[in-house]
Amino acid sequence: MEKIEITLNINDNPYEVMIYPNDTLLDVLRDKLDLTGSKESCGEGVCGSCTVHMDGKPVRACLTLAMEAQGAKIKTVEGLANVDELSNLQQSFIDHGAVQCGFCTPGMLMSADALLRENPNPDEKAIRKALAGNICRCTGYAKIVQAVAHAAQPQDDCCDCKSKE
Amino acid sequence: MSDHTLIGTRMPRVDSRAKVMGKAKYTADLKLPHMLVGKIKRSPYAHARILNIDTSKAEALPGVKAVVTGKDTEGVKWGVFPYTRDQQFIQIEKARYIGDEVAGVAAIDEETALRALDLIEVEYEELPAIFDPMEAMASDTELIHEDFPNNINIHVNIDTGNVEENFEKAYYIREDTFMASEESYFHAEPYAVVARFDHEGCLEVWCPNAGPHMKSKPLSNSFKIPLHKVKIKKIAIGGAFGGRSEICPADYICALLAKKTDKPVKIVFTREENTIATRQGHAMITTHKTGVDREGRVLARETTCYMDGGAYSSTGPIATSVPFLSMEQAYRMESVRYNGYRIYTNKPIRGMIRVHGRGFACGVDTQLDMIADHLGIDPVEIRLKNSRQPGDYTSTKSYVSSCAMDETIHKAVEKSGFKEKWGKLPPFHGIGIGTNSVQTGFPMGIRGGSQSFIKFNEDGEATVMSGVVDNGQGNENMLVQIAAEELGLLPEDIHLVNADTETTSSDPGSYSQVSTFVGGHAVKIAAENCREKLFKVAAKVLKVDPQELAAKNRLIFVRDDPEKSIPIKKVVRISLLNFTSVNAEGGYWPKVDMKREWVKNPYGQMCEAFSFGTTIVEVKVDPDTGQVEVLEATAAQDVGYALNPLILEGQFEGSIAMGGQGGMLTEYHEWMDGRCINPTMLDYKVPLACDMPRINNIIVESIDPKGPYGAKEAGMSIAMSAAQGYSGAVSNAIGVFLDSFPLTPDKILAAIKEKETRQLKRENADKTEVN
Amino acid sequence: MLLPGFDYLDPKNLEEALDLLAVHKEDAKVLAGGTDLLVRMKKGLLAPKVLISLKSLNELSYIKEEAGCIKIGARTPLADIIASGTVQDNARALSQACEKIGAITMQHYRGTIGGNILQDNRCHHYNQSDFHRSGHQACHKNGGKICYARENADRCNSTCQSDGSTALMALGAKLVLLSKGHERTVDLDKFYTADGIMPHDMESHELLKDIIIPINGARSAYRRLAYRSAIDYPIVCAGVLVRPSDSQKDRIDEARIVVGAMGRAPLFLAQASSSLKGKKLDDTDAFRKAADASMDSAATFAVHNVGSTLEYRCSMISPLVLQGLKEAASEK
Repeated sequence: MEKIEITLNINDNPYEVMIYPNDTLLDVLRDKLDLTGSKESCGEGVCGSCTVHMDGKPVRACLTLAMEAQGAKIKTVEGLANVDELSNLQQSFIDHGAVQCGFCTPGMLMSADALLRENPNPDEKAIRKALAGNICRCTGYAKIVQAVAHAAQPQDDCCDCKSKE
Repeated sequence: MSDHTLIGTRMPRVDSRAKVMGKAKYTADLKLPHMLVGKIKRSPYAHARILNIDTSKAEALPGVKAVVTGKDTEGVKWGVFPYTRDQQFIQIEKARYIGDEVAGVAAIDEETALRALDLIEVEYEELPAIFDPMEAMASDTELIHEDFPNNINIHVNIDTGNVEENFEKAYYIREDTFMASEESYFHAEPYAVVARFDHEGCLEVWCPNAGPHMKSKPLSNSFKIPLHKVKIKKIAIGGAFGGRSEICPADYICALLAKKTDKPVKIVFTREENTIATRQGHAMITTHKTGVDREGRVLARETTCYMDGGAYSSTGPIATSVPFLSMEQAYRMESVRYNGYRIYTNKPIRGMIRVHGRGFACGVDTQLDMIADHLGIDPVEIRLKNSRQPGDYTSTKSYVSSCAMDETIHKAVEKSGFKEKWGKLPPFHGIGIGTNSVQTGFPMGIRGGSQSFIKFNEDGEATVMSGVVDNGQGNENMLVQIAAEELGLLPEDIHLVNADTETTSSDPGSYSQVSTFVGGHAVKIAAENCREKLFKVAAKVLKVDPQELAAKNRLIFVRDDPEKSIPIKKVVRISLLNFTSVNAEGGYWPKVDMKREWVKNPYGQMCEAFSFGTTIVEVKVDPDTGQVEVLEATAAQDVGYALNPLILEGQFEGSIAMGGQGGMLTEYHEWMDGRCINPTMLDYKVPLACDMPRINNIIVESIDPKGPYGAKEAGMSIAMSAAQGYSGAVSNAIGVFLDSFPLTPDKILAAIKEKETRQLKRENADKTEVN
Repeated sequence: MLLPGFDYLDPKNLEEALDLLAVHKEDAKVLAGGTDLLVRMKKGLLAPKVLISLKSLNELSYIKEEAGCIKIGARTPLADIIASGTVQDNARALSQACEKIGAITMQHYRGTIGGNILQDNRCHHYNQSDFHRSGHQACHKNGGKICYARENADRCNSTCQSDGSTALMALGAKLVLLSKGHERTVDLDKFYTADGIMPHDMESHELLKDIIIPINGARSAYRRLAYRSAIDYPIVCAGVLVRPSDSQKDRIDEARIVVGAMGRAPLFLAQASSSLKGKKLDDTDAFRKAADASMDSAATFAVHNVGSTLEYRCSMISPLVLQGLKEAASEK
């Protein structure tokens, strides 16, 4: 096995990186590029903590070879905010208490972000279905579902958002 | 309470911004210069004598920097209590479960470390292994630990007296046995630890923990270095749920490897290791015998519980007691006798978990429902007849000051429409109720209190130091919220330094549900003391009495004349120019009975406050498949006072998921000869977003006289009562009381079929009689 | 979790891919979405020297109607199949099955239909880490002589848990397999070896090109049980098809009942299926009898190796088949 130089387009930045063929995209993001926002929780494609976008679609970075990610536009949780300006979805997660331990949060955000890009007005059922591949042990999902719904369609009578004002 | 700015509000958590940006660092994210990868060699046998370990091949492998075995340890046995010291961090003589630590490796990368593990040659002599606690207890020859006869690790006996007499007085008595399998935490973050020794010989450790000070002491003991040289560092933590309270052998092994190599070492557990080699919940077999009077009041109860403790003690004495205590706190009983046995088996180690003893708690509540059924009263009525009241003493002599148990029942009943639905739902559609109580604190001796320091900086902002750790539940926000409130600052003005043993004083940890009650309390007192100092200075400037002052929005002002004010920043600067310190400290120690001990003396004031919770659950069961659809869960808890309803609701909802949906329907472990068949996230069934019901949260406040702002434990009595509510609802839906948990579709379907067969037989018998 | 080392080859077209397969044969594995293969590699269940990626072979990703059939390229993502109108209209069982695989974000974009069909058989004693398997003798599938799922079994009893295959077998699908200079078409019914170790009748130099589903006015449905409504593999599943007669529209001309996750391959239950020939589309009694007969035959193949209890899984065959038949028959 020899090291190979590849170029990955991550969060609109090109990264040239030396990898082995058996490096997963998650290995490269975390270990070589210090993009540790994507988490490894199960390592076998079940929990969704490593979810990133490839060409706008959510994928498991732990089951994607870095080699296979060449040529794709990759987006990680680090690419959701515009520098320090959070996306609506990120802000909604904060406002609605959707973050507890936070370990599943990056993957959850990436799945939710992909959903909202495809379906800007999802109902609760669609949200729950879209998040079915992301396991959260803390929240019971209620506040996460609320946060996604709110990011899609802000509610005027939302007490969580009001409380900030 | 209404004049609070932050306390009582739905303030979003201060730590969530870093988390949504992917910037929060967890242990596995750490990268230190020259860091090595550590791996642990574990026993593949459930019970085996270690005859020899040959590490020469592993050590010869290029890239391997160190190999450690039991020989590198002092052979010291560790335990949470002096009388439970039964675990070595690396086994020397024998391995007692599949996963027991036998060696550790540090290498330049993961691949090399894994290859080195394979090259370590361990010669084992397999010993007969015992997996069934009842079998283990029956054996006086096959001992897992030589000094524990019959493999009984812990025996807790509680007896209030008069049990026999009261059974004689009882109108109705029944005895039932309930079983539950073991469950697991499945924290989102797999266990990980980074350790290094600095140039001064100080050990620095980063790891998920439920109390940094509970990690530093055993490390200080085992490395024989003073406590001040063990620095457990703050790091983001991906969940604990009771499973990260104690030292983990990996902490020691990692530190030992760091010492031997003089380099930082990182060990990251696989998901499987996190399941089998941290802690699990206890499997248990519980028999409750309960005698009631004509109205359904419990006169006598005798409970015997056998708990499968796995290979080592862990928090055994606590684990053997808490299910009982939660019951005796929730329900009044004229008399009670409890015998709890924690038994060693050759299985992974069991510890504390969010729902402590689903077999126990659901047994108590299922039996109450059975008794109610017999007496012709409904489940709500029988609970109200036995529910804990303020001013009571529990059976083990704890005074209960604040208690709104009845209010949680009434409110949950009203919100869920229980009264309208009970007995009137269509077939296979059911509703159930569970009630429980959880202690706010354990007797913890010198580690029972928390101390906090606050220092003001010249810019008018404050640094708050506290030993409290945040496992994900929002403790950091709680501390910031309290400090900002009391100091009259904004949350962003508070810099929190916490969960670090170098800079913070002793604290019980986010363990035993006391973070707010004890740790938050200490911060509140420190902040009040600090504010008092500021007020003294401000009073002189404003020419009023300090009593007349208040602080808010970075200003100190005269309460009755708010225009008269001075910025806090200015007060700080004036103080410093006048050689007056603007630092303060505060501490809180709960007044518990220091003589109370889990085994030797389980009587006396346990903790200062108890939470009370009720969960009502409505389900539909598919009679063809036994699958359960949960329609709604209504959770009501007496939290004392809600410091932050947004965070509290999150605790309630998480509790419904872990205690009810997962705990009662899908989560259990399967075994083959001590080998865990489902250690992964694929095979162990943690609930998913698409399966969770609608949840109604009801926060009930009782204003505890001792709690900060009246607050006490929040969320745990929902986790416990959710389990009970789920089991009650399924039982109600199918018309059969179930006694084996979790309630998987196979068990539900079998119960439905059995009931049908019984009915058919009865009908046939009736026909025969008529003929 | 580390992947074992391998050489990664990225053929640019089908011809190149077949050339590489012809050269590397059993040293190679074909990588499509990776959701099954890479997990097995991580667990140390296989360590191919070469991975031949289908990444550049867009020519294997299509859904088209051709000569009275639906043709689906092997590398077509599950998401495309779920979204396909012709699959929904003419092969609903497949649409329903794909929807149940994994979870939307988990497998629907990376996961492919070919990968789902060709996923290896599973067993909760086999699909475990190296560590888990190290403490006891290797099982048949792991190169040993023992079966932990069925005592004294002289062969591997691993279970085929593919949702896609169960549905496709009910739909009477065929697979087109390519190798260098050769193409063969095989009925999915005949594609299985009854050997749990190597469950598919496929040579190492062969590549699955596409799946052919006849469009013949048949109605189909797919039903499955798992503990959770996403992520999990089925513990029992059923694909059924009923084709009304051309002359008598309310009567069944052909029925196909396939039970999955209960044996080494999806089980086509010929007798139970043929019992429905000539029956009316609303003959619930006949459906019930066929469902019970399906249960009686299929249950004999199953072992306790994919979770839940064996008794429960067996007893669920009949209700699933019945539900499926009712749904398929009432499809408009």
